[in-house]
Amino acid sequence: MAAISLAFWNPVVCLVVFLVVIALIYLLRSRGEGGYKKGTEQTKAFLCGEELPEVEERHVKAHNLYWGFFQALKKYYDPTIKAHTGIVNDYVLWLTVITVIAAITFTLV
Amino acid sequence: MIGSNFSLGITILLGIVILALGVFFGLLYLGIDRKLVARMQGRIGPPIRQPFRDVSKLLMKESIIPDDAISWLFKFAPVLCLMGAAVLLLYVPLFGQPALLEGSGDIIVVLYLLIIPALALVLAGFSSSSPFATVGAQREMVTLMSYEFPLVMSVVAIAWHTGHVTGASPFLFSTLAAFPIWGQVGPVGIIGAVLLLLVLLFIIPGELSKIPFDMAEAETELAGGVLVEYSGRNFALFYVANAVKAIALVAIVVGLFFPYNLSPVIGIGAAIPATIVDGIFFLVKVFLVMFVSVMVARAAMARFKIDQASKIYFISSTLVGLLGLILLWIDLVI
Repeated sequence: MAAISLAFWNPVVCLVVFLVVIALIYLLRSRGEGGYKKGTEQTKAFLCGEELPEVEERHVKAHNLYWGFFQALKKYYDPTIKAHTGIVNDYVLWLTVITVIAAITFTLV
Repeated sequence: MIGSNFSLGITILLGIVILALGVFFGLLYLGIDRKLVARMQGRIGPPIRQPFRDVSKLLMKESIIPDDAISWLFKFAPVLCLMGAAVLLLYVPLFGQPALLEGSGDIIVVLYLLIIPALALVLAGFSSSSPFATVGAQREMVTLMSYEFPLVMSVVAIAWHTGHVTGASPFLFSTLAAFPIWGQVGPVGIIGAVLLLLVLLFIIPGELSKIPFDMAEAETELAGGVLVEYSGRNFALFYVANAVKAIALVAIVVGLFFPYNLSPVIGIGAAIPATIVDGIFFLVKVFLVMFVSVMVARAAMARFKIDQASKIYFISSTLVGLLGLILLWIDLVI
């Protein structure tokens, strides 16, 4: 192992270990009870007795998927989202400004 | 050929023993955790062997699959979760001994493997077709996104410093065991290492979905969140996976920051007694880390909101980790 200086892994070993462990887990799983009463009340999703919405309506909407993360970084995302106006002129202006700044920086350095 | 087959057989046997020990001690520590937290809160609490009873009871119960669930994914997610947690055990040093698969993967692999159980929970939640579970899965994903950066930063900082000082392979647990961080740093570096340790201790309850970072399960709010629809043997696998992951995760912290063995200190040279003493010492270290990062925090705090948790991990913990990294760098320079 002395020759290895940075990160390494052996994918074949990893894959074999995955398969062996999965086999062991299925062995453990097979010890449990597999059956249940299909088509009864017990197979309906739990919602505290409330009526379940349609399947399509039960999922978190895409724009809420990262809600807590966006909320935590609101101070970063608010101005960033505001800058994305969708108007091509604005993007070209950004590109021009950044190009000028980069040109000046490279010239000075 | 015979020698190589024999060696492979021994390795597989050792692997199975490690997995069995991981499950046993994971459930044992879960029992101790529940008992101690109950006592801290003025309750009697369940007996320490309760998690073992829970698993055997769950294996006897029906494994219900909701009508609108994605059946194959719903059933495979707990297998994937336990697989990720169990394989971790083979890549981290346990009981004072080197990791079984030390030569086949390093700390970076361990960091990737850590993601699998959390992703399996996300898949489980989204495949359940339950509003509670999908909200829980969303929260699990946000929590994962939030703590990954400080987690990786802390681990890499320690490895980078050790590799830089010693010139040895930085991402090997054996390197960190041979050159513990506390022996490689001056006063400034010690403060940096303590900060990185604090970050990791803070991440452990998030990784394990324990209070104050149990937003994904949130029994009182989401009735179990990602796991609300799970029962029977499928839930048993998640239950065991959580216990195994706790041992593996704490073993990583022990391997990074407390890789010491007791046998050389008290002068035990013989192999078997030294192995037993070091194994017991490892279990004590695991208990102490778990007590500080999981039990005390769980008894003393209430659940954070998801945006608060995200802010704590992605901003506060990252800044603390960055400060720790800078202090380690300053320690190298001065």
